[in-house]
This record gives sequence, structure tokens and C-alpha cells, in this order.
Amino acid sequence: MNTLLTARKSDRVEFGSAGRVGPLVLKIVLLATLDAALLFAISVLLGRGNYGALALVAVGGLAINWVYLSKRTLPAKYLTPGLTFLAIFQVFIILYTVYIAFTNYSTGHILNKSQAIEALLSQSQSRVPDSAEYPVTIVEVGGDLGMLVTAPDGTAMLGTAADPLETVDASMSDGKAVSTEGATSLTFAEVLQRQEEIFALAVPVSDDPNDGSLRTLDGRNAYQYTSNLVYDEEADTLTNTDTGVVYTDGGHGAFVAEDGTEILPGWQVNVGFENFQRAFSEDSIRGPLVYVTAWTFVFAFLSMILTFGLGLFVALVLSHPRMRGLRFYRIIMVLPYAFPAFLGAMVWSGMLSTSFGFVNQVLLGGASIPWLTDPTLAKVAVLTVNLWLGFPYMFLVSMGALQSIPEEVTEAATTDGASPWQLFRRIKLPLLLVSMAPILISTFAFNFNNFNVIYLVTGGGPRDTSAGIPVGHTDILISMVYKVAFTGQQRDYGLASAFSIIIFVLVAVISIISFRRTRSLEDIH
Amino acid sequence: MRMTKKSLAAGALLVGAGLLLSACSSSEDPTTSSSPTDTGAETPTTSLTVWVDAERADALSQAATDYEAQTGIKVEIVARDNSTLKDDFIQQANSGSGPDVVMGAHDWLGELTTNGVIAPLELGDKAGDFLPVALDASTYDGTVYELPYAVENLALLRNADLVPEPATSYDDMIAKGKAAGAEFPFVVEQGESGNPYHLYPFQTAFGAPVFGKDANGAYDPTQLTLGDGTAFAEWLSTQGVKGSKNMSTEITGDIAKEKFTSGDAAFWLTGPWNVNAAVEAGINVAVDPIASPGPDAAQPFAGVKGFFVNQYSDNKVAANDFLVNYIGTEDVQVALFKSGGVLPALKAAADSVSSDPLVAGFKAAGDQAVPMPAIPAMGKVWEYWGIAQAAILNGEDPDSTWAKLTDDVAAAIAAG
Amino acid sequence: MTTIARTPRRVSTVGRFGRWFRTTGWRHVIAVVLCLFALLPITYVVSASLNPTGTLTGSNQLFKTVGLDSYQRLLTSDQFPFMTWFKNSLIVGLTTAVLSVFLGALAAYAFSRMRFSGRRTGLLTIVLIQMFPQLLAVVAIFLLLGQIGAIFPSIGLNTHAGLIMVYLGAALGVNTYLMYGFFNTVPVAIDEAAKIDGAGHARIFFRIILRLVAPILAVVALLSFIGSMNDFVIASVVLVDPEQQTLAVGLYRMVSNPNYADWSAFAAGAVMASVPVVVLFLFLQKYIVGGLTAGAVK
Repeated sequence: MNTLLTARKSDRVEFGSAGRVGPLVLKIVLLATLDAALLFAISVLLGRGNYGALALVAVGGLAINWVYLSKRTLPAKYLTPGLTFLAIFQVFIILYTVYIAFTNYSTGHILNKSQAIEALLSQSQSRVPDSAEYPVTIVEVGGDLGMLVTAPDGTAMLGTAADPLETVDASMSDGKAVSTEGATSLTFAEVLQRQEEIFALAVPVSDDPNDGSLRTLDGRNAYQYTSNLVYDEEADTLTNTDTGVVYTDGGHGAFVAEDGTEILPGWQVNVGFENFQRAFSEDSIRGPLVYVTAWTFVFAFLSMILTFGLGLFVALVLSHPRMRGLRFYRIIMVLPYAFPAFLGAMVWSGMLSTSFGFVNQVLLGGASIPWLTDPTLAKVAVLTVNLWLGFPYMFLVSMGALQSIPEEVTEAATTDGASPWQLFRRIKLPLLLVSMAPILISTFAFNFNNFNVIYLVTGGGPRDTSAGIPVGHTDILISMVYKVAFTGQQRDYGLASAFSIIIFVLVAVISIISFRRTRSLEDIH
Repeated sequence: MRMTKKSLAAGALLVGAGLLLSACSSSEDPTTSSSPTDTGAETPTTSLTVWVDAERADALSQAATDYEAQTGIKVEIVARDNSTLKDDFIQQANSGSGPDVVMGAHDWLGELTTNGVIAPLELGDKAGDFLPVALDASTYDGTVYELPYAVENLALLRNADLVPEPATSYDDMIAKGKAAGAEFPFVVEQGESGNPYHLYPFQTAFGAPVFGKDANGAYDPTQLTLGDGTAFAEWLSTQGVKGSKNMSTEITGDIAKEKFTSGDAAFWLTGPWNVNAAVEAGINVAVDPIASPGPDAAQPFAGVKGFFVNQYSDNKVAANDFLVNYIGTEDVQVALFKSGGVLPALKAAADSVSSDPLVAGFKAAGDQAVPMPAIPAMGKVWEYWGIAQAAILNGEDPDSTWAKLTDDVAAAIAAG
Repeated sequence: MTTIARTPRRVSTVGRFGRWFRTTGWRHVIAVVLCLFALLPITYVVSASLNPTGTLTGSNQLFKTVGLDSYQRLLTSDQFPFMTWFKNSLIVGLTTAVLSVFLGALAAYAFSRMRFSGRRTGLLTIVLIQMFPQLLAVVAIFLLLGQIGAIFPSIGLNTHAGLIMVYLGAALGVNTYLMYGFFNTVPVAIDEAAKIDGAGHARIFFRIILRLVAPILAVVALLSFIGSMNDFVIASVVLVDPEQQTLAVGLYRMVSNPNYADWSAFAAGAVMASVPVVVLFLFLQKYIVGGLTAGAVK
């Protein structure tokens, strides 16, 4: 108390009104800069017609200004900076994931509709097999782009998108026609300026459309192409001119024929709750679902308990002030956390190899324990690796949390004759649990979805060969979801998002219940 | 009262300052890719963005500088993470921030065309200048989409100090390895989930490629010939824990490499990426075609690496020019070879680098190589294939395991 | 004479040893055992870093060859601008740590000292938001920063500022709750005493409270720093230019292709990358376990 009183007396001068102007000026400057930036952003978005983003920026900006100018929003003043970043980045990710879960965003449905049509038409262009190579000079004729080509027999021909090829007189250079009357030849640099138009340019070879058109892909040579797909914009149909089949928009993000065959690429469409329905009715995961879910809970819970236990234990062991080498020990305990997690996991995976691993060969003198291939031992292995990866975090947090226990309490207990163990159990541990409960709950949630450790140590294995999907005995829910949604060349982001949201809801419910229960502990404190 | 007035004053100041600042900054144009330069006569430079594997970035950057000197087109090489390159490209290609050109492998073709993210290329008369296997692999559904620059296949590395003569067959190889006193006569990388890519030459030696071919020579997903592999499965089980233990799922890539480079293994079935490690370790390396254990020749997979053009690029003409007229030339192909060590796809370049006996060895082994199928159905095969082989090596009954594999794959393909 | 003199000394030595063992000796034993557990894989990594042509887990003969080639290669290579990455990581890491702590402390102070509706729910929501699966985080961040960068290029894709902003999105989370708990242990009486003297809420926050909660601030700073040093998923989607990349991204790219993985150089890089973390921990240790705070409360 004395120290504080003295401090206060000397600070008194600074608490005077002279000090009040500085912060106010700072506040105005910061807010003005922010407002300037926001107004600039709004003007740009307005220019682009991006009204959605514009509305968000405007509303957000107004809210921030109100918070800092109003007298009544004190808590918000402290919360706003952090919340702003949270809203822009984390919340956006959540909203985006939810949005994707309601679409069919997956392999073959990445594009939007016009891009899909463009891709289909582009893929359908096939070069006429015996088409010659026509060296081409791109020209401009009366405002339209055209091609001045040199036929294999040396004659020069000119055509535009509207007019088929016609023989013309042209000046040649090295056997290639480079210019002709009535047309301006483009330099290569100019060609580059108008790449998109030139790429799309198709000069009919003759009046007969079946002869195809000349196209150039690199601006130097042209070839004869025919396309077997035609898009009718009014009817919104694709027709295959070879087979005569007409494809219409199937409503599911792809063109379909009458007999149901779909052609890909398709496009992304909203599919409502379909992904969620599929998540619940997916046959292939029925079998393994129960044991994978059970193991996920066990894994998350044990990981939490073990890392907390070991971390706290280490913090307590290394808390005696007169112990020599404290700093040295503490650094070593933090080291696993200072290395990239995947490196540690990979090294452990190698060390646990049955015939070649360090653990079996060196530590256990040539034993042949199947750490990674036996279903039970693999689970032990994964938990051990996770323990190694996670205890430094708990150690650090415990170290910090232990400092929050007031010394008077500890001293009072010791003078009352409490042994170290009683001191720990009756006083330190409950106080610690109160402040660390959220950490524990959050660690549980983190490990529930800790896909990395499983993947790097065992790959989810050992494989359950009887299951319809490549699931293994150490797979957790999220890694199984990945295996269902991302198989071979198929990436179903929509389905995976729906699954992740379902898993999140599960974890959130558990967390909320746990928080409620720890709330009563907090009230005691 | 005082506070309210102060707030109002602050507010007024803010709005004023804000408007002023925004007025100043709105006179600047938000920059887009083609901002006018000072000299009005100068035309803006076209710029190509090329995504490459981290390993090839250096070799390509020299080529990029040379190309810019020749044509004035600036080429920006962006080194990406190999493990996410394909997925990132697929997701970002149509976003407007995607690359113009991306480097990849031919087995991506099925997925890339299904997603509609690559544009056809036209090799023109140059098509004949490439190795047939490279051209074959670069074509999908009759259209060429890839500009190949390297053909990669497995071969048999031999420790020539231990075994001076090449092996004539698989059994001969094992015999020679044992006679030389090596702890491991033969090593091949496996892993817990198996490695069907490495075992493919043995599978084809027993006459069981994965898919049959249709009239156009392309892989036909309706012809699943995987089921013919029972003879292979039976042979495989004699190599695992129940038999000679020549192969094991415990041997990882690292372990196989370690054994060969330390002289404990006589033969190593691996790819060109590991040759340097063996040479640097002081092993007298020879490269042979893969010794066949069965009636037919051992045909490994060929992986053809090349470049693709993004369908949604604004610079397709420049991209095509860069790929077909520049990357497809001998000098650049040889330069890429120098950094990666994989046989160039251009015939002329392949011949000029084959004076190196090690490269010639891979080329000879590659004469038998067949392109990996790129069709979407192949993705279903990979899911079950390795696990089945690993199970057989670990003692499961070969016939029933292989039959289940064929059924699982057929069902997955049928399900779509 | 010596014998008689020695005997009592011997007994007292044993007695002293016994006492020492009971108070701190046993701690040493346990600490050593745990150190071995913690160090085992790290020894592998160090050994791999000293074996320039070796693999990561191919052999169990640790320290078979000892050479600094990999370190040299890494530090002088043009292909891997290691020092640039290092610098970038430090900039991003330290900035993120400082700002994360600051933002979190602001929020924790509000939750702890102020009463407003939605306080409890707010805290819970913040922690829950952090639990959301990050499956599509990469795509979402790419799209978002692309949009932001189109307006303000200096904080968009391929900028450090952009990356730091993404990390700050995660600043409010379970760490805030941790700080909140610690803030709660600082008696409100201190605030009240300062208020009587005419200090405003900001003064109380900056001048008094922050000093008293130094241990938890140091812990959160360290965790934040480690988190951003080791992150490569987000960093690799934001930072595309090798000159801009952080250590984690650069190192990871060296081994992402299993056929061309240079494990020795990677291990060397990882060893060097762990140095700033250790240094920061050493520096912050005195705040984490300092006895100053307990006294100040009094």
C-alpha cells in the first residue's frame, strides 16, 4: 500500500487537466486517419459497383466512430480493436464456410456458369487432323481484327471473323506474308495488348461452316479448328454437333443430356441443405462412425488431461526458487514447442518404426513392438506424441497461472501446518482450475479436430480393411471426414464444410455445457 | 455540457479531416495492372505469372530473363509449395488472381479438365519433336493441354562395386545381391499404406495394367484390367513376411535411401531424384532397366512433367508463345534438365543429355514406360490399391485380397 | 585426530545431502528424466542437421557424421534466402506478439472491470469462435485479402501487414479468457484507490494494471510469438514472394516434395529458427516468474 500511495502522490501532477489534451488529440488523429481510409475505400467500392462490401464498410465505419465518440460506450472502446479484427477475419471465415456448405462447390463445380461454358467450348475445339500450319500475321482491317496467313503453297490469304479466307497479294518476308493493302499489320507488342480478342478470333476457312475456322494460340501460327459443341444463348443449351445430343441446364450446376449424362466442367450452385442431408445419410461412414467418434472423444479428453497434468507437474517441479539450473531446465521444457509441430511428429513416426525405429532398436534393445501397426499401441503412440507436442504449452500457461495465486494464501496455509501435497490439492489446484478451465476446454476442442498429429504419425492407420472407406484405427472424426470428402480426384468442399459445421456444433455444445459448470467455480473465487 | 461540446468539436474536426484526406487520396487512381507510364508512347509491358515447383524456380528464372530479352514479355516465376500446388491452382484459377501458366504433371489432366481450368495448347508441327510417351501423356481426350519438359520413370540402381554385372531377371537380381554379401539384396520404398507406384513395373510384368485402352489409344475407364493381377498378387506374397522378405512395408523412402547409400543394399528401385544422393555418398552407381519377375517386360509408370495454360488467363497468346515457342526449344529443355536431373521431353534435348550413362540408363528403362492414367477413374484405384498390396506383403491371402481390391475399385468407379 | 574430526563431518554431509535431496534433489531427478523425454526427437533433428547428406529418420546412428555443411549451405544459399526469411519471421512474430497482447489485454480489462450486458456471453462467444474448423480458412483468407489488397495494396496479399492482420484476427480468444482470469485476481480496491486520485480508466489500465498482470502478458506474448513463427498454412497463402516469406514457409517448402526433400538443411533451419523463441523465453522469464508482482499487489 505504501509504495502505491507514494507513486500516486508523484503521479498526481500528471493526472491534472494538462494531461487530458494529449490523449484527445491522439484520438482525433487516429480516428481521422481511419475515417479517411474508410471513405477512400467506399469511393473505390462505389466505383466498382460492389455494393455489398460498401455497405459493410460503411456500417462498420459508422459503428467504430460512434463507439469512440460517444460517452456511454466505455467497454466497447476497449473491445473494439480486437473485435474488429475478429469480425473481419475469423467471422468472415465462418460465414464463408457456412456459405460453401450450402453450395455444391467441389471438383467440377468450381467455376461460375459463364466460365464453365467458356471452358466447355474451349475444350471442344479440336484441330482438324491434317490441318497445315499457317504462319500468321495479325492485321486490322477496317476496325476489325483479321489474319493474314501464308498457305503451305506460298499463297497469302486474308480473312476476318466475318469474312472467310480470300487470296490476296501480300509482301512476303522469309516466305511469310507480312502486310497487304488495306490492312494494318500489328506488331507483336500490339498483339500482346489485344491478346484476349486475338485468342478468341476465329476466321472461317470458307463459306462452309463444316470446314471450321483458323485460330491462332500464340500469335505466330494458325491452324484449322472445328468445334463439336455449340452454345445457344437464348435456349441455354449446348449441342454436340457430332452426336446431335442436346444438353440443357440440369439445375444442379451442370449441363445434362436427356438420358442423364452430365458433362463437366459444371458450375457452382446453391444446393440448400443437400450437403447436410448427405452428411447424415452417407452410407460409407455408417460402419466406422461409432468407433471413430468414441476414439475422437477419448483422444481429445486424454490429450487434454495428459498435457495439463504433465505441464502443471513440470511447472510445479521447477518452481522452487532455490533450485539451481532452473532456467536451463525450463528452456529445455519449452523446446518441443519451439520446433515446427510437423517436424516433431515426423521424427516420432520414424522413431516408432517397428523394425527400424530408434525406440525399438536402441531404447528397447532390439524389441519388435508394433507401435504404429497395432490398433491399441497406435493409439498409445499418437497420445504420446501429442503429449510431447502439447505439454510445453500447458507448462507455460501453468507457470503464468501459478503466479496469480496470491502469496498470502499460500503462506497462510503453510503456517496452518498444511503439507505441500495438501497445499496443492486443497488450495492451488482449485484456484488453478478456475483460471485454467477455459484453457482446458479449448484444448479439448482443439484436439477434437487435431487432424495434423494423426495424419503425420499414423496417417489414421492401422487401416481398417473391412470398412468401405480408407479409415483407420487412429482416425478421428475430422480426418475421416477428409477421407470421405477428398477421395482420389474428387474434392467435395461443400460436403466437407457441412461435416465440419456439424462437428463444430457438437464441440460447441460440449464446451458451453462445460463452461456453465465451471461458472459456479468462478463465483466461489 | 462541456463534454458534449467537446465531442461535437471532435466530431466536426474528424469529418473535416476525413473529407480532406479522402479528397486528396481519391485523386490517385487505384492501380491496376496496366497503369499509364510517364512516356505516353510506351506501351505497357505484358507480364506472365508462372507457378512452379520450388525446386525448379531457379532454372526457370534464367530462362525467364532470356525470354524477356527476346520478346519484351516479362515472366514472373512464383515458387509454390509442391503439395498444395494443384489444389491451389484449381481453386484460384478463375479468381482473377490466378497464374497464367502453371507447372505440373500429366496425371493432373483429368482433374484439371473436369474443373475446366486449363486451355488447350497447339504444338503444331513441333508435336513430332517430342518423345512419343511425352506427347501421348500430354494429350487428354484427343486434345493437347500440356507442354512437356521432362519424362520421369523408375529404374533399377545398382551398386556396381558390389555387383559388376546387370541382372537378367528379378530372381537373378536377388541372387546376385545375396552373392555380393549385401545385407539387403534389393530395396524398394514402401510404407505402411504400400506404394503401388513403385510396384507397378512388377505388376505389368505379370500382365496386369490397370486399365485397358480404347480405339484412340486412351485409357478406358470401363476396361478395368486390374483383376488380371492375381498372378502378381501371388508372387507379391512370396516377397513379403511370409516369404523371402525382400520387400517390407516398414521400409520408407528414407530407410531405402540410407541402406543403398551406405552400401548395405545392392539394388535400389527408385527414380532419378535419388541418383545424386547415391553418387555423392560415393557409391559406384549404375542404372539398369527394371528386372522382370514375370513373363512380360517390367513396364514402370512414366510421369510427364510439363506446363499448363490457365483458361482464365488474360495473356493466353503470350502464354502459348512462351511455352510452345520457347520452353519447347532444346536449350531451355536442357537447362531444366540440369536443375532437376530428369530426362527432357524434347527428343533433341533427350539425346544430347544421354551422353551421361546414368541418364542413358533411365532413358533405357523408360523405353518400356507407360504413362500413368490421368482419367478420373484412376483416382479411385489409388484409394484401395496400396492398402491391398501392403496387406498382401504383411501376410494376407493374396487371391482374396486382390479380388476384394478389384471389387472395391469397380464399385467406386461405378458409383462415380 | 583426523578420523575423529572427519566422522562428524561425514554424518553432516549425508544429512545435508538428505535434506537437499528432499527439498530440491528429487526435483533434479524428475527434471532430468523429463528433459530426456523432451530432447529425444530434438536430438534427432540436431543430428540430421549435422549430417549433410543424410536422411531424417533413415538411420539410428545419431551423430554419425558431424559437419556444418548444411548450416553453411543454408546461410549462404541464393536459392534459400535464409536470413531474409529469418528477418521477416522476426518482424511478423514480434509485431503480432506485441499487438496481440495489447488487444487481448484491452479486451480482458473490459471484461474484468466493467459490467455490461452480454459480458459473460461475449467471453464465451470469443472462445467458441476460435474453435471453428479452419477447413476453408485458406481459401477465405485468400479471397478476403485479395479484395482488401485491391483497395489498399499495402495491406493485401503478399504483404507482412496483411499477414499480421490475419493473425490479429485470432488475438481475441482463449488467451483473452486467460488474461481475464488473471485480471480478476488484481483487487478492485487498487482501481478504486486510483480513481479517487482522479485517474481515468486509461491511466489505470496503462500505468497500474498492466504492470501487475505482467506474468500473463509475458506468457501470452510468448505463445503468440511461437504461434506466428511456426505457422505456415496461412503464411504460405498470404506471402508468395520468396523475399517476403517467413521462415516456416521457406523451410517447409524445402521438404514439401518428398522426392527432393533436403532434410539436413531443413533440420539446420529448424534448429536456427528455434533460437529466437528460446531467447524470447529467456527474456520474458523474469516477468513470468518474477516476484516483483506479488510485492506490488501489497
